[in-house]
Amino acid sequence: MKQKKQITTKTFVLTAAIGSLLITAMVIINTFWSAKQTGDATDDAVSAVSSFYLETMADSHAKTITSLISNSFDEMAIAVAYIEDEDIHSQEELREIIGRLESLLGMNQFALVDENNVVYTRYTTYTGRSRHAFLSQESLDDRVISIGTLYGSSRQLCLAIPTPGLSIMGKNYKVCFVQFDIDYIADMLADDNQGRTHFSLYSKSGSNISGTPLGPVISNQNFFGAIEGLVSEEVWNKNRENFEKGKEGSLTFSSDGANETLSYVPIEGTDWVAAVLIRESVIQDQIRDVSERNLETSRNQIIFTLVSVLVLATILLLQFSKLSNEKLEEEKKTSRNFRNMANTDSMTGVKNKHAYSEEEAYINNSIEKGDFQKLAVVVGDINGLKYVNDNFGHAAGDQLIMDACNLICEFFTHDEVFRVGGDEFVAILRGENFDRMQEAITELNRRVEANIKEKAVVIAIGYSILEQEDQHLSDVFERADRMMYERKKELKAMGTPTGR
Amino acid sequence: MPGNGKKKIILLLTIFSMLIFAACSSVSDKAGEDEGTLDVKESFTEDHAEPADTVLSAVNFEHNLDSYRPQKDHYNFYFTYKIVHPWWDAVALGMEEAQRQYLDRGITVTYEYMAPDHASAQDQAARLTEAEKKDYDVIGVDVADEDIISPLLDKMVDAGTKVMTFSSSDAAEGCKRIAYMGNTHNYQDGADLTEALCEKLEYKGKIAILVGNPGAPCHEDRAKGASDTIAKYKDMEIVATEYDKDSVDVAYFLTKKILKDHPDLDGIVCCNMSNPVGAARAVMELNSSAVIVGMDHDEEALRYLDEGIIYCLGVQDCYSIGFDTIQTAVKIADGNMAGDLFPEKTDEITTVIYQKDAALMLELLYGEIL
Repeated sequence: MKQKKQITTKTFVLTAAIGSLLITAMVIINTFWSAKQTGDATDDAVSAVSSFYLETMADSHAKTITSLISNSFDEMAIAVAYIEDEDIHSQEELREIIGRLESLLGMNQFALVDENNVVYTRYTTYTGRSRHAFLSQESLDDRVISIGTLYGSSRQLCLAIPTPGLSIMGKNYKVCFVQFDIDYIADMLADDNQGRTHFSLYSKSGSNISGTPLGPVISNQNFFGAIEGLVSEEVWNKNRENFEKGKEGSLTFSSDGANETLSYVPIEGTDWVAAVLIRESVIQDQIRDVSERNLETSRNQIIFTLVSVLVLATILLLQFSKLSNEKLEEEKKTSRNFRNMANTDSMTGVKNKHAYSEEEAYINNSIEKGDFQKLAVVVGDINGLKYVNDNFGHAAGDQLIMDACNLICEFFTHDEVFRVGGDEFVAILRGENFDRMQEAITELNRRVEANIKEKAVVIAIGYSILEQEDQHLSDVFERADRMMYERKKELKAMGTPTGR
Repeated sequence: MPGNGKKKIILLLTIFSMLIFAACSSVSDKAGEDEGTLDVKESFTEDHAEPADTVLSAVNFEHNLDSYRPQKDHYNFYFTYKIVHPWWDAVALGMEEAQRQYLDRGITVTYEYMAPDHASAQDQAARLTEAEKKDYDVIGVDVADEDIISPLLDKMVDAGTKVMTFSSSDAAEGCKRIAYMGNTHNYQDGADLTEALCEKLEYKGKIAILVGNPGAPCHEDRAKGASDTIAKYKDMEIVATEYDKDSVDVAYFLTKKILKDHPDLDGIVCCNMSNPVGAARAVMELNSSAVIVGMDHDEEALRYLDEGIIYCLGVQDCYSIGFDTIQTAVKIADGNMAGDLFPEKTDEITTVIYQKDAALMLELLYGEIL
C-alpha cells in the first residue's frame, strides 16, 4: 500500500514538472513565433502603406503644382486685362498698379516686359534679356513654363504668357510673367508632409529641377544616374520610359541596408515629374523601437510567467508532499488500529491467539538466530468455566473470563498477556516482569486459593523459563502447560466448584 | 489539508497574479505611451565635405544693412551699366536683397537698372543725360569708357546730380563722382591671373589676350595687368590682343582666328566674363592645348574649369557689389559724402579658383552638384 502511494506521488510530480516545462516551452516558442510573425507583417504593412502613402502624396503634390501654375496663368490673364483697361501715364503709376495686382491676386513677382526686353516690376525696372532666357525669343506664341538657376543657387520657376496688343504709354508689351522661388514651392509641399518625406521635381531626362534632395541616396543628382546600379536594368529602363512618356510609377531600392521607396507622377501641363520618396527605414526604425519594447514586454511576461510557474509549482509540490505525508500517517495509524484490532481479544482487551502466534514466530526467530534472552511463559486456565456456562449462562461465563483476565493482569502487564483459548491465557514475561515472576505467581496463587473459598474466579497457573536447549517457544509453553494441569488438579482438590 | 494551508496558497496565488498583472500592465502602458508619441524623424543628415575656404569666401551671400537710418521712406535710383550680361544680373541680385531689406524696414527703394544690348559709351552717355532730366535721388553708372563718361559725370555733379559709379568700372581718376562701389583692383586681377598662367607655362610661350570693350576701365586695366606681367618674362610673348565686346560668340570666333594664326599658342588671358567661355569652346573645337585663364563666374566657364579646359578663373563678389551699391546710394541720396558712412571706394574681392574648386563653386552659385 505504502509503495503504491509513493509511485502515485512520483508520477504526479513528474507529470507536473514535465507539464510545467512543456507549458513554459510552448509559451516561449509561441512568443517568439508571434514576434516574428508580427515583424514580417509589420514589414509588409510598412511597404504597402509606404507605397500607397507616396502615390497619394506624389499625386497631391503634382496637383498642387498644377493648380499653382494654372491659377498663376489665370491670374496673369486677369492682371493683363485689368492693366489694359487702366489709363497709365507714368512708370510710377505702372509700378503702383503692378503692386496692387500682386496684392489683390496674390501673385508672386509679377512683371511686364516691353518689346525692348525691359522688365517692369513693382519696385524695379531692368533690362532682362540675359536674366530671363525666354526673353531671347522675339515674341511668345504660347505660355512658357521655365526654371532658371540664378547666381547664388536660387532656382526660379517662371511662368509667362504673351501679351499681344498690350500697350502702355506708347510702348508695346510682349509678355508678362510671375516668378516663384523653387524653395518656396518645396517649402510649401514640405509643410504638407511635415518633413517625413522627400520631394523633388524632375525633368523628363531625370534632372533635378527643384534643387531639393530626394533622400540621401539620390539627393540632387540626376534621377537615372543616381539609381543606376541600384535597380535592375529592366526596372531602370521601365522608369526611364515612364518619365519620357509622362506616366506615373513607383520604385523601391536598397542602399547601405536601407530601403527607400518613391513614387512619381507627371505634372499636368508641364514636362516635369513630381517625385516623393520615403525612407522605409525611418518608419521601420521607429516601429522597430516599438517592436523591441513589445518584445521586451513579452520577455518580461515570460520571465514573470516562468518564475510564477516555478514558485507555484514548488509551493504546490511542497503542499502536496505535506498532504501525502499526512495521509500516509493517517493510513499508518488506521493500519495500526486494524492490526491492533486483529491482535486483540475483543472480550478482554488483551492480545489474542493471533497476536500470540505472531509473537511466538518472532521469538522463535530470535531463538533460531541465537539471540537468547531471559524469557518465561506463564499459562493460566480458568477452572469451572464450563460449569458456569452450563449452569449460569454464557453471560456469567463471559464475566468469569473477564474476571480471570483482570486477575491475571493485576500481576502481569497488559501488553504481555494473551488469551489463547476460551479459558486459557498466556503471559510472556521479559525484562523486569521476568525478574519478579516468582513473586507475582506466588501472590496470584494465594489470591486464587482465597477465591476458592469466596466462590470467585479460580485460575490454574503453570510457568516455565526458556532454557538453552529449547528450540521453540512451544517447548517452554509445553512445560508450563504441564505444570498448569498439575496445579489445576491441586485446585480441584482444594474445592474448586467444578473443573475441567 | 489544513485550513491555514489553503489560505496561504490562495494568498500566494493572489499576490503573484497581481504582481504579474502589474508588471505586464506597467510595461504595456509604457509601450502604449511610446506609440502615442511616435516620432518619425528625419533619417539622415546631408553629408557635405567641409567646403574650401577659398570658395566660401569668394562670394558673400550673407549681408545685412548697417545701422544707418535713412532720412526718407522712399528712394528712386537710376543705374546703368555697360551691357546686358549675366555678370550684372548677379550684381542685380545683391541690389535686390538690399532693396528687400529696406522694404522690411518700411523704406521703399525703386530703381531702374538698364543697359544696352551692345556696349557703347555713347549709348551710356545718352542714358545718363536722359536720366539726369528725371528726378532720381542718385544716378549710378558702371563706366563704359572713362574718357567719354568721366567728363559727363563731372558735369552732372556740378549740376547738383548725385552720381556714383559701381560694379566693375570706376570713372577716371579725379572724377567728381561721389563714390565707387565695385572692383578696385582690375589691374591686379589681370596680373594675378596672368602670373598663374605664366607659372603654369613655366614662364615661356605665346600668349593671346582677350579684352572686353575698348575703353572699358575694368577690361583695359586687366589687359594692362596681363601685358605688364608677361613683359616680365623674356621667354613669353603676346601674339594677339582682341576685343570681344562682351560677346561669347565674338570671343569664340576671335579665339578660333587667333589659334589658326598661331597654332602653337600656349595661353590665353581672358579679361571679362564672356572671353573664357568663347575661348574654351574654340580651344575644345580645335583641340588646342592652350591654357586659358579668365574672369568671373559664368556657369559654362565653371564647367570648363571643372573639366580642366580652363586653368583658373578670377571670381568677383558680384553679390556684395550689388548690395553695397544700393546701401551706399541711399546714404548718398540723403546728402552724405564718402567718409565714415561709406568709403570713397570699396574693396570688393576677387578670388582666383582652380579646377579643385569648380564643383563647389558651381554648387554655391548655381546649386549644381556634379
